Amino acid sequence: MDASLLSIQPNAAEPLYRQITGQIRRLVAGGVLRPGETLPSVRDVAGLHAINPMTVSKAYSQLEAEGVLLRLRGKGMVVADLAAPPDLATRWALIDPALDALARQARELELPADALLDRLKTRLTEDPQ
Amino acid sequence: MNAMLERSLSAFDTTAPLAADGLIKQYDHRSVLRDVSLAIEPGAVLGLIGRNGAGKSTLIRAMLGLIEPDAGHATVWGVPALRLTDAIKQRLGYVPQQPEAMAWLQVGEMLDFIGRFYPRWDAPYVDATLERWQLPRNRLLAKLSPGERQRVAILRALAPRPELLVLDEPASALDPVGRRELLREIASRAGESGTTVLFSTHIVSDLERVASHVAFLHEGQLLLHSELDSLKERNLRLHVPESVAAQLREDVPGEVSRRPHPYGGLSITVLRGEDTPWPDLLQVPGVRAEALPLEDLFIEVSA
Repeated sequence: MDASLLSIQPNAAEPLYRQITGQIRRLVAGGVLRPGETLPSVRDVAGLHAINPMTVSKAYSQLEAEGVLLRLRGKGMVVADLAAPPDLATRWALIDPALDALARQARELELPADALLDRLKTRLTEDPQ
Repeated sequence: MNAMLERSLSAFDTTAPLAADGLIKQYDHRSVLRDVSLAIEPGAVLGLIGRNGAGKSTLIRAMLGLIEPDAGHATVWGVPALRLTDAIKQRLGYVPQQPEAMAWLQVGEMLDFIGRFYPRWDAPYVDATLERWQLPRNRLLAKLSPGERQRVAILRALAPRPELLVLDEPASALDPVGRRELLREIASRAGESGTTVLFSTHIVSDLERVASHVAFLHEGQLLLHSELDSLKERNLRLHVPESVAAQLREDVPGEVSRRPHPYGGLSITVLRGEDTPWPDLLQVPGVRAEALPLEDLFIEVSA
């Protein structure tokens, strides 16, 4: 990962360390940062953005405590293996609204449940475009 | 050897690098400092903000013993600021708002001269920085632009590798690129060498990049001194609708300002304590809250 992927807004109400933790969490959740990928050093991030290295350390340490990052000897910070998939309940909570909407529309259109599930199954096994 | 000994001794220094207690100063019957107490912990980068004329330079000068306060006292590593020893001065770098001229000297001559007083003077750093900043050693100080003069003053303060760096409006004559470069230098000194830094500015975004702590000085009074992250997490501006505002009898806990909201009701800014919960008012239906950027908070607090 390149230090310039982070966007630092000193004037924002959000503290700088939280801007960093938030962005890295999203980059990991979105798969832009993959498990094992190395993060830029504290020095690089601080130097590029002209911010206090202690702010970057604080952000990294917090992400390490959360299990998003892993401190590897001689390699610095890397994305942890377990960091990518959010837990099952969280993922269901994300898709439930779409399922609710689908069920409602299927009822409005009076489509049979079996046929609907078959069509959904077909789509799930197809390669995404 | 001397320098090493000094360094290892200072590593055990637990007293505040810089502290002021009850400073009062008047000029021509005008109060410039009104009972200011402030201690800077080792390794902190304290940004001092305040409007022009708030007393920032006077506070800095009093803390370094360059002027005598009418009351109160200041210490540098526990030593009274008015009686600093050479050993203490060698651990201290100061960039005044108006760098002294020494106009008859060339840039290189002045730096070489000053360097002799400092055992830890970093001559290679001086040469590399002069080259990077395109400042010829043989240029007369009198011929420098204000920005160049400020750069020389900054270089002069950084070259002795000070453990305490004090900068009074260091960015005022620098262009944006120069300012960014200076901030990077301050941040890396603090982060990598543990240098304690005090700098005053009225450019809040500069401060927000590098400061670990912030102090608000307003009309000679210290209104706030806090860790910067914590300050950003402890403030909220509440928009209180008319119906709720009408029932507010007392100040909201932590209230720092209150004014009529342009669209009716009240706008109340609160700053809660480190371990204090948000005021109950936050839970009242219709009340909206937003965290304030530092600049807005400064305006609310000094209103």
